[in-house]
Amino acid sequence: MSISDKDFEQLRDFIYNLCGMYFHSTKKYFLESRLSRRMEATGTKTHMDYYQFLKSPRGAEELKYLMDEITTNETYFFRNVPQLNALETKLLPEIVEAKSRMGFRKLRIWSAGSSSGEEAYTLSMILLEKRATLLKDWIIEIVGTDINETVIAQAKEGVFNAYSVRNIPDLYKRKYIKEDNGKFILSPEVKKFVTFNKLNLYDDSKMIFMKSFDFIFCANVLIYFDTASKSKVVQHFYNNLQPYGYFFVGQSESLHGVNDKFKTVHFPGGFTYKK
Amino acid sequence: MDKLEMIAKAEQLVGKVDDLPTIPAVATQVLQLLDQPEVQIEEVADLMLSDQVMTARVMKMINSPVYKPGHRISSLKRALVYLGLRHIREVALTTSFISAFDEKSGAAGIGTFWEHSFGVGMVSKIIAEKIGYIDLERAYIAGVIHDIGEVFFSNYLRDEFQQVMDGIKDKPVKLVDAEAEHFGTTHCEIGLCMARKWNFPESYCEVIAYHHTPTEATIDPVLCAIVNLADLFYSVRELNYGGWVSFNLYEEPSWQILKSMSPDLVQLDIERFCYELDDAIPHVKNLVTSIFNSQE
Repeated sequence: MSISDKDFEQLRDFIYNLCGMYFHSTKKYFLESRLSRRMEATGTKTHMDYYQFLKSPRGAEELKYLMDEITTNETYFFRNVPQLNALETKLLPEIVEAKSRMGFRKLRIWSAGSSSGEEAYTLSMILLEKRATLLKDWIIEIVGTDINETVIAQAKEGVFNAYSVRNIPDLYKRKYIKEDNGKFILSPEVKKFVTFNKLNLYDDSKMIFMKSFDFIFCANVLIYFDTASKSKVVQHFYNNLQPYGYFFVGQSESLHGVNDKFKTVHFPGGFTYKK
Repeated sequence: MDKLEMIAKAEQLVGKVDDLPTIPAVATQVLQLLDQPEVQIEEVADLMLSDQVMTARVMKMINSPVYKPGHRISSLKRALVYLGLRHIREVALTTSFISAFDEKSGAAGIGTFWEHSFGVGMVSKIIAEKIGYIDLERAYIAGVIHDIGEVFFSNYLRDEFQQVMDGIKDKPVKLVDAEAEHFGTTHCEIGLCMARKWNFPESYCEVIAYHHTPTEATIDPVLCAIVNLADLFYSVRELNYGGWVSFNLYEEPSWQILKSMSPDLVQLDIERFCYELDDAIPHVKNLVTSIFNSQE
């Protein structure tokens, strides 16, 4: 069923207010197809029936299924290119300069909700390329955390499928990926900067030990949390950052109304939060 | 660099050019007519009809997705009624600017330049609305004309300007800084000289001169701050115009100016504002395309 502009806007606003994820109008047909699956599963006939269902007491549970459909739980290397460009062009050189001035030569990055490790390893490749120049003699630590032990084991293994590696620029692919029978194996060089651990972002006693990060990435995770939990987790991230650190969320995500301490820094194709 | 020195340099450069574009006489007359109390739409329509290119462009604009008429509008008078007197000022001025410049092909593609200009005009109007600025059309026009000095570089110092643009591509350097270094002046001072030659109202001259340094404005700093922010927000949404731009909103002087004018601005959902701008950009591109296809 094709979705009317009015229904689209209503659902978009509802999802935005609840999860902090914004649907661009270019994503209308995508949302439409994902909605049709959920409408079938819930036995709702029209988009407005489904909207009413989302607003009902059973809606909170349903919203999780909808978000699963929408985010498809897929991750791949070099997923958010504008973010990575901003990191390379501006934010990384800025932090390296600031830390050098204070005599520090260690960089710490956290991929929160790291899933099978693509984001953490993407960052590792980018930093590895700067090893001879900007990051000469620097200690690099990239930490990936996830609540799911199965994906952590996958991440540690460092073997990926064709879908996952399809966006890697040739330069990096040639250097850091080896193909073997349809499997794509990550070079040990890339893996050596990265560690993976199980972590529940709700677990305050563990969260307070995640200290002194320069960059934290947390894409498509917070959309599953209610506002109160989101506020709590984001406050942890804020505390876990160095005073000049940056916090990145996924494309189309928003922290509006969640935390008023972060400042937005805008760059071509997106924005990030600065402590 | 000293602003006065840069203005002197700009005057010297602009003075060397003897075929500076002129704003069509009809446009100036339309604007004067619109400033009179109790003007009749018929009078405006008669005057505009004497310029066929302008008429064609107004018709294209009004039928574009930006103005969203329910059905196709086919007469100029209907178009003007639909727009209302205030918007006629906006449309007349924009179409006449395009007439003044589109015959010359500069270094920066003219389409890119107008996309930027209209984009900034549109975002200026949205910001003006959010902060309760009194004259939304003024904000729109100020946005459209703020970079008029770039057209001069692009048309009359084409090769040098191309070098400057190539030099900053994908680098975190602002075009205005690269211009100052290379030319000893920038599009702000050049634009100011052009605007003075065209007898623009002072508040527009000020936006052209100070849209990168709104704290130096004295006549209407709020208007300069609106255009400054609109320029920043729009520039991070396009790739082919003026270097790799980034900004920390809270550190921008223009944001401070607007917050002091409208304290509610702290509540603004900036993320959503950004995402909505992303959605609006295809409309700006459509508008520019529709205007440029109007010379049939």
